[in-house]
Amino acid sequence: MRTKHWLKTLPAKLWIALAALVAFTFFSNDFGLVDIQKTAIILAAGVDRTEEGFELTAQIAVPKGSDRTTGGTSSVEIEGRGATVADCLAAIYAQTGWVPKLVFCDLILLGEEAARSGALDALDFFLRNEYSPDSCLLAVCEGSAGETLKAASAIDDASSLALEKLFSDAAKRSGRVMTATMREFAIGHYGASASGYMPYVRMIAQKGPEEGAGGGQNTAAEEGEEKLFSAEQTALFSAGRMTGILTEEETAAFSLLKGNVYGGALPAGDATLAVLKNSGGVSLQAETLTAKLSIGLKVRIAARAAASSPENVATNRVTQAECLAAEQALEKAVRSLWARCAEAECDLFFLRRTLWRRSPEKYAALKDTPLSEIALSTEISVEGLR
Amino acid sequence: MTASRLNARQILFFLAAVAPAGKLVLLPSLLAAQAKNDLLFPILLQVCVQAALVFAVLLLARRERTVYALLADMVGSICAKALCILFAAFLLFAAFVPLIEQKLLVQSLFYDTLPSYVAFAPFFLFSAYLCAKPLNALGRMWDVLAPLFCIGLFGILLLSAGSADFGALAPAGGAGAGGFLRGSAYSSSWFFDAALLLPLVGKFPYRKGLAWKGMLCYLAGGGALLLFLAVYFGVFSDIAVTQLFAFAHMSKYFSGITAMGRIDYLFIFAVAFVMTFYAAMPIHAAAETVSEAFGRRKPLAALLSLGMNAALFALLFALNFAPSATIAAITERAFWVFPAVGAGAAGLLLLLDGVQALQRRRHAD
Repeated sequence: MRTKHWLKTLPAKLWIALAALVAFTFFSNDFGLVDIQKTAIILAAGVDRTEEGFELTAQIAVPKGSDRTTGGTSSVEIEGRGATVADCLAAIYAQTGWVPKLVFCDLILLGEEAARSGALDALDFFLRNEYSPDSCLLAVCEGSAGETLKAASAIDDASSLALEKLFSDAAKRSGRVMTATMREFAIGHYGASASGYMPYVRMIAQKGPEEGAGGGQNTAAEEGEEKLFSAEQTALFSAGRMTGILTEEETAAFSLLKGNVYGGALPAGDATLAVLKNSGGVSLQAETLTAKLSIGLKVRIAARAAASSPENVATNRVTQAECLAAEQALEKAVRSLWARCAEAECDLFFLRRTLWRRSPEKYAALKDTPLSEIALSTEISVEGLR
Repeated sequence: MTASRLNARQILFFLAAVAPAGKLVLLPSLLAAQAKNDLLFPILLQVCVQAALVFAVLLLARRERTVYALLADMVGSICAKALCILFAAFLLFAAFVPLIEQKLLVQSLFYDTLPSYVAFAPFFLFSAYLCAKPLNALGRMWDVLAPLFCIGLFGILLLSAGSADFGALAPAGGAGAGGFLRGSAYSSSWFFDAALLLPLVGKFPYRKGLAWKGMLCYLAGGGALLLFLAVYFGVFSDIAVTQLFAFAHMSKYFSGITAMGRIDYLFIFAVAFVMTFYAAMPIHAAAETVSEAFGRRKPLAALLSLGMNAALFALLFALNFAPSATIAAITERAFWVFPAVGAGAAGLLLLLDGVQALQRRRHAD
């Protein structure tokens, strides 16, 4: 009787087992198997303009055994050329047999020429590719992106990892770098302001392995000069093209306006203040009748002295004169920042977007107002932490 | 009277926390393309219309007789069978969008590079099994899926809300009347939940106030959908139109992700799991409708399930190179089928209810 019942329910049991098996396969992502010998895990991509179109330099993580194996991540840079970025990737596949995998690509570096001639031409592929994360960081570099990615870093085995350290949250909080992800840049570009920014990277040569920050044991150092990277400048974009570069002081002022800074340094005459708290804001006033726009930039900082005399060490108080000096320096930097944006016609504070959201009618009337014609008022406040 | 095989609670679970799952994949980006920042208004309209239809369907369930039985009383068994087959054909047509969504979702979300065509084929084995199961299995399934969906959606929204710029939803009315109308029309293909309930009428006990409760539960689910869409547009703003599988991506910008890894995958997989079941729902409803009309002979449900799933698999395989064209054909050109069937069903329900009331009066006399 029991056998008969078992046989009767056998098809259902087999069906359940089959369904469980296929459901497991369905959710398994090919059981997570990645053939590392056939797959190129791209850590970073560098895009340069060429006469025929683009040159893509992919920094690929490779199994240990290459010439950069002092620990951490070994990498190799492969170049592909083509009319589009997709063609470049196809060329890499054709030349190496490696299937380029973009899911781990955390940095896209644009060469200066590629950024000036239209960043979105180079970035559009990554933006629309389902397997490329739009949370990846963007940066422009001085000269060629390929050369920058191929440079031997003094602080890491892979230059992209050294660069990513510059864009960490801690670096952002210092106020010395303004980072941008693919999503943020694309939203800025496709919005009413058609503007954006990303950090501008420069290479700084180390004098020698003995003096270098990395200690000089790396075999790459024997091949060429080790490099450090700096991203304290910020590239400005208008209508997808790089139209200007913010200086270090202007980048710091922009960061303070965004209210990002906790722990950064602020020059105050001969002294230096440590920023403890920071808030910033941008206000926009639109007068449709007079067709006038005005912008208010506001920064509030609470700080303490970064270094104190022995008699003042317990309090670390900031003097009135130091506050005033810091305010004046910051006021100058903020005005210089605004002038730079106006010159580059980069709507860095997304005023046109704000105008659109506030009133489509006002937006239609005032959207073509040049930034240089917008009146600027500033409100800078630096005080000691009470 | 047909024996009750579902619980009223399970119906409410379906309306509140399973039905919204089918609207999170391609609908948000399609809406963003048509209605731009006004994407909430067309959905508000759709949710209200469906809630009213759900109310009407659940009122019909007061009779505790199946729709086929009611139809057969009114128009005879042959016409009733023909109407049931037509309705099943509509459900199979409606199944197309969730199936293509599932296929694209699996290929994009569960794989790092484009997998082979047949990677999605196991879904149809799963669906064939599910569609052959009796209704009490469906009810138990909803008991499990509803809390899973709530946890998944809550987690995704919690991790995403911090990255959202809700100012992106302004100015209200920015897309104009054209945007609202296009958004309402093109989103019709995702709103047929009241039709999914029709084959279940008469198969669960009607308790007092169930119609109101059902409507409120559907509105609650619709509210969650509206909140999801608001967060989605806040996160992606002007690039929302390019985000095809937004529910799987919008939480990755949470600042803690860099330190903890993609913990949001727990919530994403929970929602994706519920979606898999939801995608099989229209096929289940079609099989149930035809099976009911032809007397529930024992192998019929299994054969119908196999046949329908095999046909849909073949069609999906044939259209493998044209997923966008298929979606566009349904949502942009054949969208009118959904409100037409909705209006037709509503009219029919009113008629059935009226006829029933008339018959009762005659019996009383």
